[in-house]
Amino acid sequence: MKMTSMRSFGILLVALTLFSCKKEATRWRTDWLLPVLHDTLTLNQYYNDSTLSINGSQIDVNLSRTILDLGLSDLIQIPDTTIAQQYQANFTVNNVSPGFMFVNSIKTHELDLGDIQLKKVRVSSGQIQLKVYNPLNTAVLYQIELPGVLQNGQVFVQNYTVAPGTVQNPTIATETINLSGYEIDLGGLQGLEFNQLQSKLTLKTDPNGQTVSIYNNQIFKFEAAFQNLRFDYAKGFFGATVIAGQEQFNLPYLDLITNGSISLPDLDLGLQIENGFKMALRAQVEELSATNTQGQSVSLNAPSIGPSMYLAPATGSWNTLQPSTLNLQFNQNNSNIKAYLENLGANQQVTYQLQPNPWGNTSAGHDEAFANSRLRIKMNAQMPMALQADGLTLQDTFDIDLSQDLQKSHVTAATLILDATNAFPFSCDIVLYFMKDGQVWHTVIADAQLVSALQGQVDPSDGLLKKKSKLKIVLPPALVADLQDLNQVAVSANFATTDPGTGLAVQQAVQAHAFLGLQLQLQLQTQIQP
Amino acid sequence: MRLLFLFLLLGAQLAQAQQAVLLDTYGTYNSTGVRRQVADAFFYGGLIDSNEISRSLSGLQKRNTFGLQMGLNAQWQTPWSVSKDAQKWGSSYKWVFNAGVQQYAGLQFSKDLFGLVFQGGLPYIGDTLDIGNLRAEATTFSKIGIGFGNKASQSTFVLNFVAVQRNLAASLSKGSWYQTPSSAQIELGLTGQAKFNRASGQAYGLSLDIDYRFGSADSTSNEQQFQLLIQNLGVARAVQSTSYSLSGTLQYSGYSIATWQQTSVEQLAQAFLDSLGFEQALVSNWILLPAQIQLSKIIDPESQQRLAAYYGAQFMLRQTYTPLVYAGAQLKVKQFWRTGIGMAYGGFGGLRMQAYSAFQFKRSQLLLRSDNCTLRNGASLYLQFRCDI
Repeated sequence: MKMTSMRSFGILLVALTLFSCKKEATRWRTDWLLPVLHDTLTLNQYYNDSTLSINGSQIDVNLSRTILDLGLSDLIQIPDTTIAQQYQANFTVNNVSPGFMFVNSIKTHELDLGDIQLKKVRVSSGQIQLKVYNPLNTAVLYQIELPGVLQNGQVFVQNYTVAPGTVQNPTIATETINLSGYEIDLGGLQGLEFNQLQSKLTLKTDPNGQTVSIYNNQIFKFEAAFQNLRFDYAKGFFGATVIAGQEQFNLPYLDLITNGSISLPDLDLGLQIENGFKMALRAQVEELSATNTQGQSVSLNAPSIGPSMYLAPATGSWNTLQPSTLNLQFNQNNSNIKAYLENLGANQQVTYQLQPNPWGNTSAGHDEAFANSRLRIKMNAQMPMALQADGLTLQDTFDIDLSQDLQKSHVTAATLILDATNAFPFSCDIVLYFMKDGQVWHTVIADAQLVSALQGQVDPSDGLLKKKSKLKIVLPPALVADLQDLNQVAVSANFATTDPGTGLAVQQAVQAHAFLGLQLQLQLQTQIQP
Repeated sequence: MRLLFLFLLLGAQLAQAQQAVLLDTYGTYNSTGVRRQVADAFFYGGLIDSNEISRSLSGLQKRNTFGLQMGLNAQWQTPWSVSKDAQKWGSSYKWVFNAGVQQYAGLQFSKDLFGLVFQGGLPYIGDTLDIGNLRAEATTFSKIGIGFGNKASQSTFVLNFVAVQRNLAASLSKGSWYQTPSSAQIELGLTGQAKFNRASGQAYGLSLDIDYRFGSADSTSNEQQFQLLIQNLGVARAVQSTSYSLSGTLQYSGYSIATWQQTSVEQLAQAFLDSLGFEQALVSNWILLPAQIQLSKIIDPESQQRLAAYYGAQFMLRQTYTPLVYAGAQLKVKQFWRTGIGMAYGGFGGLRMQAYSAFQFKRSQLLLRSDNCTLRNGASLYLQFRCDI
């Protein structure tokens, strides 16, 4: 009977084991169609900011960019400077009674400003930090006066009562004063000098203090540190130092072009040099060049590129200031401007020289600059927004992280479905490159083209020529299986302005209010694995 | 219902036995509409064929249930009387020790939800799906207890200390899914809450198992013997459960290029949850154990009748469980072999056939039973073993 019981128990165990045996993962397939993206790409955000303007049924490119913009603070600066004045007795003075004035002296300080000779400035921002030292064993009244520094006709004067100190540990009083709105006369005592600043120090013992002795090892001094001074007015000789510079800037989107060409309509490119300072100016655009993504550089060749040009001083003052300007025009007749722009140079480089007072101090120290004085180089261009694109390819690479665990729920097949409404006069072929560390593993081509508006019809609701397209981009199973390894996708868009009649690339104008409506959906087949 | 058979065996214990060991193990799952092939994949693994999903879907009603119960229980009926004093009531009771582990999982769901989960959203574009009226309850717990049993009537009373390893109580009172015919927008509305208690935040409590028999145990009399069986009647206290709630609607139609560029996927997912009013908190709560109450007729194994009827009813304190009724007939094939066949309706499933065989040896008994012989959307196996020492 015991054997029978054991057998029964064995059957029980085997049954339990079988019941709990799970050989492979539970899984099933589901299908989804999910909206991912809906957007309308327009040029609206570029209207009325001097980039684009509506001209009838077309768009004009009205490009105006400031390449260089220098103000008074960029040209005229006083570096952070500390002036100091001190008094030290030659011999011991005994029994100095309370309230006794024992110092009253003026000192002139020379500011080192290179070849700039300033007679007068007005501070728009900045500060002065005053520091006074008292080594005497009674309180001392310090009066610090800067005779050339005035605000509303009042001379800069500061009074301090500094507590008693010792030779080893003089008492120090410190204060920082905002100098905004102060005028600084740097013309010296007679007003005929330049870069000169005076200070006057007056010392008096405490009238309520004790009788003391002043020894010859006691140094009474003050320090005035001018910090971060910026001016909104300056007068003097602004020097003749050459400002040589090289400006580089990238034009957006052009750096994404990897292939193809465009043809632009004729256009004028203007370059304006503006002198808002009351001084003569020499300007020289040494080189203007652009390099595209293939490394091809084109320099702008024109008679005005290279030689020096001279600008007269500005006229007027403050609100009536009239800058002098020099306008350079580049067009088909005097330059290679068309080739320069059609090179699609993303990297633009300007090399220039600016030199104030090229003939020296001919104004006898009467150069002037105001708050609104600027040295500017502006570029402007105007043309109808039209282009001829032939295989113009824009490519951009994005990092992706689509890793999935194949032992859990995962995608087994995917298709991108793009519904587009195109009101631009170009067609577009889309290719996706799925990459691992820059190496292309899979290339996926859309099954159709985003068709040009030229092949569509006018929509009576808004009068725009439009064409709808539906593209499918099927991600093959092999690609989906590799998703966990892929880390980049490059989206390549190949544009063409093809004439529907001839099949040739022709120049097409972009209609006003053109847009590209996009609706992207993702069709997924997933394997659910709880 | 499994306990019916346990007591068929109990009734057959030898009067002269001093002590007994009972082992009881079972596993069953069933559904009102989901085909067995679908459910089997969750137990044995494998790919659920889309045809099986379609067939299951066509058989579903507006409200459907699926449930699972598994357990292992051991009981030792000791030879020691509660009291040695024959004058006291305790002298007719013996100490009983009990231990076991049980799992209950029940799911109530709509047909639309089943379709969305197992087929995806693509087949339902343009349809409004009702994914509400969802309820999910799952509890895994173990227990160890002490009690006493009446020597004559075989009634037992056991108080158990219970440890709940895992508990989920979730409901979605309202839920809708709609994807526009152009598939450009998905509208989702959800209102519901859930409480989840993991193994790391265990809950402890007490439960009562009562086996009370009444009527006559002697089949020669005209009076029948019945059994009122109450198991797992009790509660546990979870100190640290996670509570989730949702109440909101969401319209999703994709994002603009700028949004995709400027927002991380995590931020977008959080925005989804915010739209749905998702909230999460740590709470303490009481867990009502899946108590089971059964009233049944007991067949006297000593009866010389070759054919006897059995019947009974059972319900559980669970909203995902519908009351079960069953009835059948037993045939005494040999002195040591009885077999029965019957029908059952309710619980997690619909109408189905059950069958069992019980073998009685000199000092032991074995019972095998299945409640899903035909007309089935599930499977079940019950094994019971008793040894009298």
